[in-house]
Amino acid sequence: MPVAAVLEPYVYEGGVHKHGLIIELLEDLGGYLVQSTPAATEINLVMLIPRKDVPLMEELAKNILGKLTRAPLTGTEIAVVSPTLAYHHLPHSACDVAEHLRRDGANTNMLGLARGMGRRVALSQDYERKLINEHDIAVYSFGNFSDCIMNKKPKLFSGVDVPIVATGGPDLSTDDVEGADVYVGGIGRVSHRLRNEGEIDSLDVLNKTVGEVVDKLREEISRDPLAVLPARVMKEIKEQVPEINDVLTPAPITLQLDGMRVKLPFDQFHEKLEQLDLDEDVSLSDVANIMPSKMKDYILIKIRRRSETGFTI
Amino acid sequence: MATLEKFVVETTVEEEAPPYRKIVSDIISDLGMAGRIAKIKVAIRPEDSLFQLVAVVRGVLPQVILKDFAEIQKGDHEGEILITISVEKHLPRLLQILWDRYGRDSLEQPDRWTISLFVDNPEEEIGSLENLVVDDPRRTLKSNLADMAIRVAPEGFRVRYHSLNGNNFIFVASEDTMQKEWIDEAHTMLKELKGDDASGSSA
Repeated sequence: MPVAAVLEPYVYEGGVHKHGLIIELLEDLGGYLVQSTPAATEINLVMLIPRKDVPLMEELAKNILGKLTRAPLTGTEIAVVSPTLAYHHLPHSACDVAEHLRRDGANTNMLGLARGMGRRVALSQDYERKLINEHDIAVYSFGNFSDCIMNKKPKLFSGVDVPIVATGGPDLSTDDVEGADVYVGGIGRVSHRLRNEGEIDSLDVLNKTVGEVVDKLREEISRDPLAVLPARVMKEIKEQVPEINDVLTPAPITLQLDGMRVKLPFDQFHEKLEQLDLDEDVSLSDVANIMPSKMKDYILIKIRRRSETGFTI
Repeated sequence: MATLEKFVVETTVEEEAPPYRKIVSDIISDLGMAGRIAKIKVAIRPEDSLFQLVAVVRGVLPQVILKDFAEIQKGDHEGEILITISVEKHLPRLLQILWDRYGRDSLEQPDRWTISLFVDNPEEEIGSLENLVVDDPRRTLKSNLADMAIRVAPEGFRVRYHSLNGNNFIFVASEDTMQKEWIDEAHTMLKELKGDDASGSSA
């Protein structure tokens, strides 16, 4: 059964006061807490809630004066790729794009290419392509000129196997941008924060478009389901590998549609993860590939499909 | 941006000019240069990897000399020079220059308007200090203009030509080898910008 059919992604925004009740209820209902981000007296909880129990959670959130909103991009890790990390692209618009995607629950990584600028001279490196391919989706943030976007920049897509969403200023059709799965216009190079009405609308369109790509990926996964839900593996890691609680990054375990990134050193912890008990006589290495990530010395887990393992748990 | 007499952005595809105009105006505002530029024209031909910017700047302010805003006299202690300033906005730049020249240990600041400087031969130093150039708006303007042009230009265009002749600034950038025609074209653009007063008003 597909992930989306059983568990619904939601984000809770509210005060720190009594937010423990939300977590308790979530555990009782059999849902999963994906990420918890406290900020002074406020807290954001990204969760997967069993669909039939969503009204219960909504009621509790209302009682403690919090807000529960659907976050369709929960459980995805998205690479926001900009041609470089220079001020031409950052913090606007690439960071604005990443921030808007995070509002819908996605985990984003900003990825500035070393030599992605320009037209003739633009190129990507093997390491960068491998890093992008570790994500669920790559969102490329381009500039204002249709000639560049149509004729020169698509070479940055080569070697990228994950779905590509390209953004840029001009209003082009997806067919004009060779290699991109979707093109979203209205988000080109700017030197100010994207906050005008038209700009926010374009970011909303981007989120919706990325959401559609995620839906397609989830549908594709549902045809040959994963041997185990990534959220469940995450829960087991939190229980069986206590060191993960000492990791200070915002998302120590970053969920992906078909796996996760565990932010622990590979050399020290890969054996522990391989032996992680999921069920009687089933350890994580039976249902997933555990490999070193290209990002720092992290661990990348990709869960195998039922057709490969012959069972689901 | 109301202070600009003329502000033109031209691109090959007409619809792509307004977003670029916004980038130029944002950067001019960020650098606080709106009051310094009278006219500006930017032309971009992405298909040729060409960016041209010409601008006419307003009259440049004269140099700021120390004696213009400070009183310099001998102090009560041996080897002491007392500098009493009357305009505080030049103080950070003045301190930096004095620190670089005499070292931090030789300077004291009893209050925000006074600097005590200890040197070996105060008489000689007073003479040279009086004519010390604390700020040169022309130099600052030149570096600010170059900074603005580099920020405005597309990132990959790293082959650059720039000149500031009198009040006329020209900047050409590309990712390919610089061509003489492009620079000549920019000079013609500048001539047109200066001569065309149809839509501008004299400030």
